[in-house]
Amino acid sequence: MSKKITFTSIADLPPLVVSMGTTEVNATGSWRYLRPVYHDKTAPCIEGCPASEDIEQYMYWAARGDFDKAWEVLVEENPFPAVCGRVCYHPCESSCNRDHFDQSLGINSIERFIGDHGLEFSLDRFKVAEEREQKIAVAGAGPAGLAAAYHLRRLGYQVTVYEKEEKPGGILQYGIPRYRLPKHILEAEIMRLERFGVEIKTGVQVGKDIPWNEFLQHDAVFLAVGVHKSRKLNVPGEDLDGVIAGLDFLSRINSGEDVSLGKNVAVIGGGNTAMDAVRTALRLGSTPAIYYRRTRAEMPAILDEIEEAEREGIPMEFLVTPVELIGENGALKAMKLQRMELGEPDESGRRRPVPVEGSEYVVEVDNVITAIGEQGDFTSIPEKLIEWGVVKSDAFGQTEQRPVFAGGDIIEQPHTVVHAIGSGKKAAMAIHAYLNGGDIATLADKIHVGNKGGVSFLRFRDGHEGDPVDNHEVVTFENINTSYFTRKDRHQVPELDVKTRITNFEEVKGTIDREAAMDEALRCFNCGVCNMCDNCLVFCPDVAIKRRDDRFRYEIDYAYCKGCGICVVECPRSALSLVPEGK
Amino acid sequence: MNHVDIQPRIPEPELMYSGHLACPGCGASLAMRYALKALGNNTMVIIPACCWSIIAGPFPYSALGVPIYHTAFETAAAVASGMKAALDQQGKSDVTVMAWAGDGGTYDIGFQALSGAAERNEDFLYVCYDNEAYMNTGIQRSSSTPFGAWTTTTPENHRKERPKKDIVGILAAHRIPYLATVSVAYPEDFIRKFQKARSIRGMKFIQILSPCPPGWKTADDQSIHISRLAVESRIFPLLEIEHGEKYTLNLEPEGISVRDYLEAQGRFRKLSEQDVAYIQNEVDRKWEMLKRQVS
Ligand SMILES: Cc1cc2nc3c(=O)[nH]c(=O)nc-3n(C[C@H](O)[C@H](O)[C@H](O)COP(=O)(O)OP(=O)(O)OC[C@H]3O[C@@H](n4cnc5c(N)ncnc54)[C@H](O)[C@@H]3O)c2cc1C
Ligand SMILES: Cc1ncc(C[n+]2csc(CCOP(=O)(O)OP(=O)(O)O)c2C)c(N)n1
Ligand code: SF4
Ligand code: SF4
Ligand code: SF4
Ligand SMILES: [Mg+2]
Repeated sequence: MSKKITFTSIADLPPLVVSMGTTEVNATGSWRYLRPVYHDKTAPCIEGCPASEDIEQYMYWAARGDFDKAWEVLVEENPFPAVCGRVCYHPCESSCNRDHFDQSLGINSIERFIGDHGLEFSLDRFKVAEEREQKIAVAGAGPAGLAAAYHLRRLGYQVTVYEKEEKPGGILQYGIPRYRLPKHILEAEIMRLERFGVEIKTGVQVGKDIPWNEFLQHDAVFLAVGVHKSRKLNVPGEDLDGVIAGLDFLSRINSGEDVSLGKNVAVIGGGNTAMDAVRTALRLGSTPAIYYRRTRAEMPAILDEIEEAEREGIPMEFLVTPVELIGENGALKAMKLQRMELGEPDESGRRRPVPVEGSEYVVEVDNVITAIGEQGDFTSIPEKLIEWGVVKSDAFGQTEQRPVFAGGDIIEQPHTVVHAIGSGKKAAMAIHAYLNGGDIATLADKIHVGNKGGVSFLRFRDGHEGDPVDNHEVVTFENINTSYFTRKDRHQVPELDVKTRITNFEEVKGTIDREAAMDEALRCFNCGVCNMCDNCLVFCPDVAIKRRDDRFRYEIDYAYCKGCGICVVECPRSALSLVPEGK
Repeated sequence: MNHVDIQPRIPEPELMYSGHLACPGCGASLAMRYALKALGNNTMVIIPACCWSIIAGPFPYSALGVPIYHTAFETAAAVASGMKAALDQQGKSDVTVMAWAGDGGTYDIGFQALSGAAERNEDFLYVCYDNEAYMNTGIQRSSSTPFGAWTTTTPENHRKERPKKDIVGILAAHRIPYLATVSVAYPEDFIRKFQKARSIRGMKFIQILSPCPPGWKTADDQSIHISRLAVESRIFPLLEIEHGEKYTLNLEPEGISVRDYLEAQGRFRKLSEQDVAYIQNEVDRKWEMLKRQVS
C-alpha cells in the first residue's frame, strides 16, 4: 500500500502539480457489500458416481496429458479403473452438466483409457498410511470385497480376502463375458492389489472351510458374498435336459468349459444376465432370442448392453412369459408362452405384466436359459443378520452385529459393479472408525460428496481440516458460464464390426487413443473447481486479484475489491461465490 | 492439485493501481488496465475531462504507474500532438503517447482537435473509451448515445431519435494508418491491437465499447457479459482498418438477436417491438456493408 502524503505548509508542495503517491491509499474495499470468495464446489458427475471418483479432477490432468496423475486421482477412490471403464453403466455421464450443452462428457471412455494407461505402465504407487496390527477378513473377492480390502490395506490393516471359487473377481470373473471384460484386464487389476499386500485366499468358503465362529475371530469382518442363485421360472418342465440357469451358463463359459447348445436358444429375462447369456449363445453359434415379460423400456439391463444385443441382430420378444417347458424323453423340445399386457405399476414403479387369457402359443426350442434374476444364498450367514432376503445394514455397511460389516449385492442397494465398489469403500471407513473407537456417522458430513450418499476417501484420509469448501453444493448447468465453451460432439468409442465380433469372444469395444482422451477431457467444464483459467484475474477492474506466491491459484485483496462480482459471473465453472459482506 | 506451469494469458505486470475511483464494475477502468499491460511503462497518458479524470485519483495520488497529463475537455488530440513533438525534440521518440478520452471528448467537444491531428497524421494513439454518454457529469446524451437509449437529457418521453455517430467511418475517412475497435470481453484481442498500435508510426485510433453500470442501468457484475453480447449481436464488430482501406473483421459471430443485448440494459427498457426490429435491421444492414468492405 502506498503511503499517505501530508502537506503541512505551502513549502511542502512541489513546484509542479505532480502526483507522487498512488491510489493505493484508498481502501476501496470499504465500498463493498458483496464479497467474492474462492469456493470450490462439487461437480454433478462426482455426485452421480456411486464410487465418488473425483472425475472433475482427473479430467483436469487428462486434458493436460498427465495420465499418471489422472490415474492416481482416480484410484484414490476406485481401485478398478480399467474394469469400470469397461463395465460400468456410467451414471456419472447422465449427471454431467455438459449434457445440457451438447453431449455429456465421455467419462467412461476416458476412465478406461486412464485405467489401461495404469496397467500399461504398471502404475501402483499406493501408499500405506502406517502399518497396523489389526487383522481384517473379507468374505468374497467380488468388486465389493476387493474394494474394501484395498481401502483397508491403505489404512494400514492386515487384510485377507477369502474366496470360495478358484479365482477372484466374483461376477467380474464368472459372470461378465470376456468380450466385455477380458480376463487379463481383470486379473491385472486384482494382481496390483495383491502386490500391495492384500492377501487373497481362493478356494475357501466362509461358513464351510472356515467356520463362521472362527471367521469372526478377526478384529473386523466384511461380508460381500454376492447373490448368485438363479431364480426359478416355477413352470412345469424346468428340470428337462437343455434348461440352464443363466449365471451357471456364464460361469461355465467363463471358466473355459465347452458348453454345447442347440440351434434355437430361448433366453428368458431382460437383465444383464439375460443380455450376457444371449450374446454368449450367439457367439457359440446358436440362434438365440430374448423373451421378456414386459417391454424394452422396463428392461433392467444396462442400456448399452440392450443396444449391443440389438445391433448383433438378436430378436427380442416382449410381453411374453413361459408357462410350460415341453420335453420328449427328458429332453427339452418346445416352450409354451403366454402373452402379457402391462397393468398397474408394482412396488418397483414399473407396470406389472398381467397374462392375457387364451393367448398361449408354442415355439420350438433346443435350450432355455433362465435369467430372471439372482437371489442370495445366505446359508452360511447367521440368520439374525438377514431381513427380506438381504443383509441388514446402515449406509456404511454396519450390521447389527459387531464387528460384522457388509456390502455389495447382499445389502439393499442397486446391483452394479460401481455400487459394490462404493459400498466396499464406505465399509472400509466404517471399520476404521469402529476399530479406533469412533463412529463413522459423525464424520458423514465431512466426507460426503454431494447429496446422493457418496463419500470421498481422500477427505476421509486427509481430513481436510479447515477446508472452506462447502462440499455438498453441487454445480448445476445454470451455474456454468457457457460463453467460454464451444460446442463439440463427444469422441466415439472404437468397436468391432458386428460380423466379426459375433464369431468370437474378442473384446467388442476398444480404448480411445491418447489424443482422443486428452481432447475429450478438454470438453470437461471442470464444474465447480478452479482450473486456473485466469478469467477472474484478467477481468478484475480493480486489480484486486493476484496470483498466489506459489503461483497456484489466486487471492483476493479485500482492501481494494469493490465487490462488483465480475469475477464470480465470469468464472466459467462456478469456482467463486458472492456472499453478503459481514456474514 | 499440484503445481502446473502457468502460461499467463495477458502480460502480467500491472501498471494500474488498486484504489482508483471508478465505480464497481466499470468497463473503462478495466480497459485502462489492459491498455497499459499492452503498451508497457514507456508510455505517457493524456486525459481530458471525463470519468477517467476522477478515476485516476486526486493530487498527490495517481492510479497509473506512468505519467498522466490532465487537460481540458476539448484538447486531448491537440495536447497529444504537442506532447509528442516535445518528446521528439528531447530525442525521446520511443515514448508512446496515448490520448485517452471519453465519447463526449471524442465525438463532440474534442472532435475538431482529433480531426486535425488525424489529418496531420500525428504520431500518437488516440483512444476513445466509449460509454455512450457524458457519464461523469451525470449521464447526458452525446452524439455517441445510441438510438432509443435513455439518458437524463433523453428521458423516456423525449428520447434520442438519431443514430449513434459513426466515429469509425469518420476516422477511416481520414485514412489514418491504424484504426481498431476493442472490447473488454476479449482481452487477448484487445491487447494484441494495442501492441500493434504501439508499433505503427502515425495516427492510431482505438474505440473501446465501455460498459458503465450506473449509466447503462446494469448490474455491476454484467459489464463483461454485456460487452460480449454487443460483439455477438454484431452491434459492436471487432475490426481493424489500415489506411482507411484495408478492413479486417477479427471475429465473425453467428449473430445473436440484438434483443439479447438491449434487454440486458435498463437504458433500453422502454424500447418497443418496432424499435427493436428497427435496430436489428440497422445492425444487419451495417454488417452487410462491413462484409462488403472486408472483401
Ligand atoms: C451376468 C451379470 C452381468 C453383469 N453386468 C454388469 C455390468 O456390466 N455392469 C455393472 O455395473 N454391473 C453388472 N452386474 C452386476 C454386478 O456384477 C454386481 O452387482 C457386482 O458384481 C456385485 O459385487 P459383489 O462384490 O457384491 O458380489 P460378486 O461380484 O457376486 O462377488 C461375490 C464373491 O463372493 C464369493 N463368495 C460367495 N460366497 C462365499 C463364501 N461363503 N465364502 C467366500 N466367498 C464367497 C463369490 O464366489 C464371489 O466371488 C452384472 C451381474 C451379472 C450377474
Ligand atoms: C469545456 C468543458 N465543458 C464541460 C465540462 C464538464 N464535463 C466534465 S466531464 C464531462 C463529460 C465527459 O463525458 P465523456 O467525454 O463522454 O466522458 P465520461 O465522463 O463519459 O467518461 C463534462 C461535460 C468540462 N470539464 N469542460
Ligand atoms: S462437465 Fe466435467 S466436471 Fe462437469 S459434470 Fe461433466 S464431467 Fe463432470
Ligand atoms: S472483479 Fe475484482 S473488484 Fe470485482 S468482485 Fe471480483 S475481486 Fe472484487
Ligand atoms: S475464473 Fe478461472 S481462474 Fe478464476 S476461479 Fe474461476 S476457474 Fe479459477
Ligand atoms: Mg462518455
